[in-house]
Amino acid sequence: MFEADLNQRERQVDWPMWLAILGLMLIGTAFIYSATSVNESDTLGLWERFRKSSWAVFGKWFLSRFYIKQVLAYGLGVGAAAAFCLFDYHRLARWSLVIYWVTILLLVSVILIGNKVLGARRWIDLGVFQFQPSEFAKLSVLLVLANFLSRPSEELRSPSLFFKTLGLTLLPFVLILKEPDLGSALVLLPICLVLMFVAGVPPFYLKTLLGGAGILVGLLVVDILFAPPYLRIPLQDYQRDRLLVYFAQDFASHATTAPERERARQLQRDRTYNIEQALISVGSGGLTGKGWRQGTQNALGYLPKAVAHNDFIFSVIAEEKGFLGSVIVLTLYTVILFTGIRIAGQARDRLGRLLAIGVVTMFFSHIFINIGMNIRIMPVTGIPLPLLSYGGTSVLCSLIAAGILQNIYIYRRSY
Amino acid sequence: MLVFDQLKRSDRHLQVISVGILAGLAILLSGLWYVQVVSARRFRADQQEQSFRSVRVPAIRGKILDRYRQPLVENRPSYNVNLYLEELRRQFYHEYTNSVKPQFVRANPNVPLTRKVIGDLEREARYRVVSNYLFQVSSTIREPRSLVENAFYAHYSRQRSLPFTLLKDLSSEQMALFVENVPDLVSLALDVQLTRFYPYTNLAAHLLGHLQRDDTPAEDEDINYQFRLPDYVGVKGIEAAFDSELRGKAAAKMVLVNRMGYRQSEEVWSSAEPGLNVVLTIDLKIQQATEKALTNVLGRTGKPVRGAAVVLDCTTGDILALESAPSFDPNHFIPGFTHQEWEDAKMTDRELKPLVNRATRENYAPGSVFKIIVGLACLESSTFDPKETIYSPALFRLRPGGHPWRDLAPPGNYDFRKAFFLSSNYYFQTNGLYKAGAKRIIEMGRRFGLGERTGLPKGQDVDGYFPSPDQIVKRDGSRWMDGDTANLCIGQGEIAVTPLQMALMTAAIANGGKLMQPRLIMALEAQDLNSGAEPIRFPAGQVKRDLRIDPNKLEWIRLAMLDDVEHTNAVGRLDGTGKNAFMKDFRVCGKTGTAQVFDENNRYKEHDVWFVSYAPFESPRYAMAIVVEGGGSGGGTCAPVAREIYQAILKREAELKAASGIVASDPPTVENAQPGLTLNTAPPRRIP
Repeated sequence: MFEADLNQRERQVDWPMWLAILGLMLIGTAFIYSATSVNESDTLGLWERFRKSSWAVFGKWFLSRFYIKQVLAYGLGVGAAAAFCLFDYHRLARWSLVIYWVTILLLVSVILIGNKVLGARRWIDLGVFQFQPSEFAKLSVLLVLANFLSRPSEELRSPSLFFKTLGLTLLPFVLILKEPDLGSALVLLPICLVLMFVAGVPPFYLKTLLGGAGILVGLLVVDILFAPPYLRIPLQDYQRDRLLVYFAQDFASHATTAPERERARQLQRDRTYNIEQALISVGSGGLTGKGWRQGTQNALGYLPKAVAHNDFIFSVIAEEKGFLGSVIVLTLYTVILFTGIRIAGQARDRLGRLLAIGVVTMFFSHIFINIGMNIRIMPVTGIPLPLLSYGGTSVLCSLIAAGILQNIYIYRRSY
Repeated sequence: MLVFDQLKRSDRHLQVISVGILAGLAILLSGLWYVQVVSARRFRADQQEQSFRSVRVPAIRGKILDRYRQPLVENRPSYNVNLYLEELRRQFYHEYTNSVKPQFVRANPNVPLTRKVIGDLEREARYRVVSNYLFQVSSTIREPRSLVENAFYAHYSRQRSLPFTLLKDLSSEQMALFVENVPDLVSLALDVQLTRFYPYTNLAAHLLGHLQRDDTPAEDEDINYQFRLPDYVGVKGIEAAFDSELRGKAAAKMVLVNRMGYRQSEEVWSSAEPGLNVVLTIDLKIQQATEKALTNVLGRTGKPVRGAAVVLDCTTGDILALESAPSFDPNHFIPGFTHQEWEDAKMTDRELKPLVNRATRENYAPGSVFKIIVGLACLESSTFDPKETIYSPALFRLRPGGHPWRDLAPPGNYDFRKAFFLSSNYYFQTNGLYKAGAKRIIEMGRRFGLGERTGLPKGQDVDGYFPSPDQIVKRDGSRWMDGDTANLCIGQGEIAVTPLQMALMTAAIANGGKLMQPRLIMALEAQDLNSGAEPIRFPAGQVKRDLRIDPNKLEWIRLAMLDDVEHTNAVGRLDGTGKNAFMKDFRVCGKTGTAQVFDENNRYKEHDVWFVSYAPFESPRYAMAIVVEGGGSGGGTCAPVAREIYQAILKREAELKAASGIVASDPPTVENAQPGLTLNTAPPRRIP
């Protein structure tokens, strides 16, 4: 009896997934350290600094290290994930609507009172740390949609339900777009689509939705590439430029005078700079990479310091650890993604299944867009790489999502 | 696998999702494969191009040494104050934000800070910072200077990753001032640069040659350098002939630059291989004596001496001294001549021609010196009897009323020896024409190497001119006349020789009829004698041609040459033309010569005067040829020069003997030479 109990307990934790997560956290810490420490003017070691300076000074210095902050975020995240495993996910689902509306409230307030960084209001300053509501919005939309779509499949046939689902997605989508944070907003769409598909929404709706989205995207592209200025959709300049870069457009095609052309070329150089440098970083890593902390792209400032440790952390890893490093990262992600799909398959009910698939979709969208952006198969959007990019909110959300998967695993069907 | 076990249960939705995710991951994986493995080379090249600057650093140029390893050409350290721009970035920024920008905004409140305006202001800020440095440093070394704006901008925009040279070539007092007063500036450094240095300035300048700034890439360079530190190429003399040996192999340095183009770190990709030292056969002391003796001759017109002197070891063919006057100071070529300096040195003067090496590259008529060859040609003729006397009217005509060749020797009866030491033209013209004949004379001249290069290393000497015995025609191809032979018999007309050729000819007489291969380079050896590299040696005593002259006939010439210096008349006074070379206990044999020089309009201009000689008579060791343009006479102008040089040689021999007990014929070898020690403290020793 006791032994059986023990066995039962043992299987409570999905070890492969947590090992993969642990691996990613170690890689994240190491490379955030690599990306942010190379340019420290003094090269005092940790221990020497500890010996030489007072507690307060050392503490302040220590806590301002990016990798230390990241480790703290990991700790907090693992704690949160554990907390989310304490109770059945059904209880969480019951609160989903409340969470959803709180999120909407936060999104509205970030637009009103958020900290403006580089022309976008994405953060709420809580004094001790800054907090990015759009990250949480992904989780709460996932939660509310899974809960909403977990009803019997017959009900899903009704058009009103379809439009309600759409509405639930589009409200935060528009708010996030308003910040503006195109990347985070866009991630909501595949989550919505995949959840509807797995929930069993009739294919007709899905096809219409896909078709509609396709036409919209097509129109957007046509508009950006060809439309005269007065017919253009009011996008942010930099967003338009990023898409122009992605489609390899000549910025100077509309310029008529020489100085105008020169300005356009300069702009093009500026706008393509990040992506080109990211590509050089990844490519120059080669098969085995230059070695940890040996990458030059980041150290010499070619890869902009502001993004090297967050959105472009993959470039740093790829440069320093090469294709083999990239494969290791992709493998760890694959373990998490397919663990998620397996958990979806083992889930006790539709809610669990949908939640798991939602989490998988969210992870996958981030991974695909972020890594794709580093090798130029996706346009540049400020989306973090789960668990690797520097950023407390992102780490917290990713670990909570993993916690939800674990929760579903614990309460899986026992046959 | 765990995952796929679950999916076997025909869960269509999850299968679709799985396939979708797998497809996405496959896209990423193949994309990464393409970027990181397939295109890695291209991206690595891109990365290197943007973050590496290759710098070519010339190797230390080899020295040129005399036969006892005394430096004739070396490298002098010069000290420059360099400013490392990457250390100033904070100051640039500080200057911009705290000073330049606020000032501009206050002065022009309505001008928007566009990119261009900011660029200009940053430029200004950088200029101010660097200019301040220059002012501070140049004031401390008491030589205030201001920064040339364009020079700094040019350096900043093109060579930002290299240090900017603030001040060049500090004197030792300035260095002391700098070190004492400017120690706290981290961005400043006193850097050593080696400058080619010719310690004896004009001495043997033609032989040693000079350098010229040259930063053009070599053809066999395997790196496409972005920056090249100043390098020099030899353009004349030994510097040119052994340029690649002296230069060695340049180092390739890679400077890692950051996004702003400032230096981050440096790495040596291939280290320099220092050039080889060239050891000459020249003896510095003899060379100095030769220079002194030659320049002591004041030209007849009081102008600077134009002439040359070559001193050979007649048994080995070693060139002990080789001087051409007027000379120049090769040190001037390193910074480069200013226009004024160039004019003052009369470098392009058509008469002085200071750049021409007269000893090996100027064509002279040998005058009566050529009577040595004519005499030998006569002696080889069976119909010629040297004891037979003929009457000389001191005027030679081919036919009555024909062109007259006047004689400096008085009218009278002449046999061979008398005709030789008094240099009777009539005697040698008559016997040359009617006993020897043109063909024999020309063959004899050719045997002594006239009209052909002596075999000095590349580009050091010229052929001169001499007719070919196979088909005797004039230089312009026209028919050879008896008049041409008569002219040739007194060393004029269809003949041009270099002093080196004359010295070799004299040496061949002295050593018993062996035309020597002149040796100028003794060895090429590593600068670091401890490097273990085997030096390249050039053997001494190479015989170019054994002339196979009957010793008895040669003896006639040798005695005649001795008479030229030592013959005394009835009252016991020296009466040979070369009497001024007489030395009491060192028997000099010689022959004087005087050749008329005509200008472009074929009018008489001046005399080139000669004295060739060897000594001592009993067992000759030295041979020399001296020529002075526009001199009085060979005996009057050149013979005293020869005596002066022989005196110096004797002094030198005694000195060397005192130092080692061995006469200076063989140089110290690498095995026993002690670098850094002079001859007096480290006597050369012959290895058994």
